[in-house]
Amino acid sequence: MGLSTRLRAASARRPAVLPVTLPGATRQRLALEAELGAHGPGFADRPAAASALVVCGVPGAGHHDVLAAVWAAVPGPKAYAVVPHATRVGDALADVRRDLAAGGDGPGPVDVAKHGHTEHEHGHAEHGHAEHGQEDGHAEHGHAEHGQEHGPEHSREHGHGHGHHHGGLVAGLPMADRADDRDGLRLDRLHLTLGPALPDWPTGLLVDVALQGDVIQEAAVRWWASEPPADLPFWTEPWLQAAHGLPVPEGAAARRSCAAHLDSLARLLSVAGRPQPAARARRLRDALLGGAAAVTVAAELPRLVRSVRRSAALRHLTAGIGELPSPQAESAGLMGPAAAGDVHRRVLAWLDAIEAAAARLDDRNPLPPDAADGPRGRLDGRPPSQALLDVLPGLLAGAEFACARLIVASLDPDVDEVLGMAAAHG
Amino acid sequence: MADTAPLGAVLAVPFALAVLATAAAGFDAVLSARAERGSGGRALREAAAPMRESVRLLGQQRRRTNAADPLLGRLGIALVPVAAVLAAAVLPWGWGAATDPAVGVVWFNAMEALAWAAVWLAGWGPNSALSLIGGYRFLAQGLAYELPHMFALTTAALGAESLGVGDVVRAQQGLWFVVWMPVAFVVYLLSAMAMAFWGPFGQPLGRDLAGGAVLEYSGADRLLLMGGRWLLFAVTAAFSVPLFLGGGNGPLLPPWLWTLLKTAAVLGLLVAGRRLVPAVRMERYMEVAWMVLVPLTLLQALAVAVVVRNR
Repeated sequence: MGLSTRLRAASARRPAVLPVTLPGATRQRLALEAELGAHGPGFADRPAAASALVVCGVPGAGHHDVLAAVWAAVPGPKAYAVVPHATRVGDALADVRRDLAAGGDGPGPVDVAKHGHTEHEHGHAEHGHAEHGQEDGHAEHGHAEHGQEHGPEHSREHGHGHGHHHGGLVAGLPMADRADDRDGLRLDRLHLTLGPALPDWPTGLLVDVALQGDVIQEAAVRWWASEPPADLPFWTEPWLQAAHGLPVPEGAAARRSCAAHLDSLARLLSVAGRPQPAARARRLRDALLGGAAAVTVAAELPRLVRSVRRSAALRHLTAGIGELPSPQAESAGLMGPAAAGDVHRRVLAWLDAIEAAAARLDDRNPLPPDAADGPRGRLDGRPPSQALLDVLPGLLAGAEFACARLIVASLDPDVDEVLGMAAAHG
Repeated sequence: MADTAPLGAVLAVPFALAVLATAAAGFDAVLSARAERGSGGRALREAAAPMRESVRLLGQQRRRTNAADPLLGRLGIALVPVAAVLAAAVLPWGWGAATDPAVGVVWFNAMEALAWAAVWLAGWGPNSALSLIGGYRFLAQGLAYELPHMFALTTAALGAESLGVGDVVRAQQGLWFVVWMPVAFVVYLLSAMAMAFWGPFGQPLGRDLAGGAVLEYSGADRLLLMGGRWLLFAVTAAFSVPLFLGGGNGPLLPPWLWTLLKTAAVLGLLVAGRRLVPAVRMERYMEVAWMVLVPLTLLQALAVAVVVRNR
């Protein structure tokens, strides 16, 4: 008993944290990543590998199903914590460590939708398949064809095919249906939803895919239920503030832009199997957001940019994927780095943008109110991320799974931007 | 049979392999910590990270997924470490292998090929789409690496005119095979990583699939699969020493020390080198494997055959 208690305490000190970020909670995510990045390799990339589920943002009614399913998939001993605000990361992690040291059998996500709770309980008890609970606060934004969202890890127990009624159910799961594949062969086809708990996945994005083997046949994009966010979207905040007449220095906008591209780059590198440059990009991002002076990043930033730009292996593995010819990109309204050709050229465009922004970190001139030059494109019209979401299904159709992940990462749509700008304009 | 170690050594094989694999995993964790956090001295503490993670996993519940096939899945998981240990039976440690059959090279290859079944079964078992994709990926990977790999093995056996591992080592008393079979050596190292679904070839368990074949496993299951992968990686990398690097042959030092040094060098090289390359996707690698590596290894085998014929 003494030994196992001590071993448990040792494990509790360095929990493997599975982060799940809600739309609008980018600040909390960044704070959590900075904290865990500085103090050990504390991230799990799937529920089965985790010992703690930490939710960035305050879950609403529309989030409970996914969170409950993820929580059910985390093996015990386990702990659950919420980071309601970026300053509360330390408290959340302390709670996690304490709960784990105490045995790790504490409560999981709380269902905030008191009404209709019987439906929920019923659904969870059986790892609900098709029909349970149309979520309130979810059908509002018009993107929800399906009743509930779920992480991809739970496609199996949480119904990969709800909304697609073919073939009946086996052990509570819908059967795969069949369809012609790209070579005209009739093959099994699975329906599942990618996101929101996949590692290195854009926050809040959900992609419903029909999958044959590892080839995506069809894709449809929506996002995870969300109340209209209270704060301005993090990555476009300086420009939106300037547009509202607040004084914002150019340097602050450049800093945010540089960090945004580093964040996207880190995700893509991680998906592409380069965890270490990805970690360096995140560290630089955190340094910039933490207010580091231009000189302190002046040494490492160009080194990272150079090494990624020169990587022949990265070019060989990402060139030609997710290709969108420029006339098409233009007519779709694509702006910013995403408008550039294919996955590899988008990476190069990020690198250029990172260098350009890094040169302006100390610019004290006020940002003109009509600057509107956000990291993903001009902010004075339709949200640039909306165009990214619009082209995504077309690019994903026919892509193999690994390529699809690279395509999503190379576009890196910011759901916060779409939601936040809709709220600001509407 | 002169190369066969005493019976007691047979029992030591799994432990020796585990020590080797743990050391490699520890080195990997140290390098990762240094690269990711840029900390010098503190990074050394990460050498114990694999042990810590093992302890954590042992204290963790196993998961069951809905409508899973646990028997198949666990069979697949258990096959990984078992295949690694069985392959290690013919690995000479400097004073001899646990056994040295006349067809040692074939035995080694057969045990490695078990990994095909292992990863596929482990990916299939949990009844989970992403996990299944991980299994598919390994089949595609096997298709890409196995042919060049077998030609590389054949080349070494050809040079020694024997399929016995002991004979292969003895044939390198003068000149190491790596000197006149460099292509086979490089291809062997590539396929060693591919077969252990490790490093750049780790896509079957890729992060983009949230773990792929290992996605649904926790606790002891996960420990067996991930630990088994390190064992498999360690034994395949270590086998390049008797095949191409002269085994225990070398001046001054005793054979066991030479074997250890060379093995450490190969493992160190691969662990450090994996940081420089992105994950290799089979839909791109297949072309390289079949259009470039297969012809190259065939030419290499031809060159070796000509040399042997005229000896």
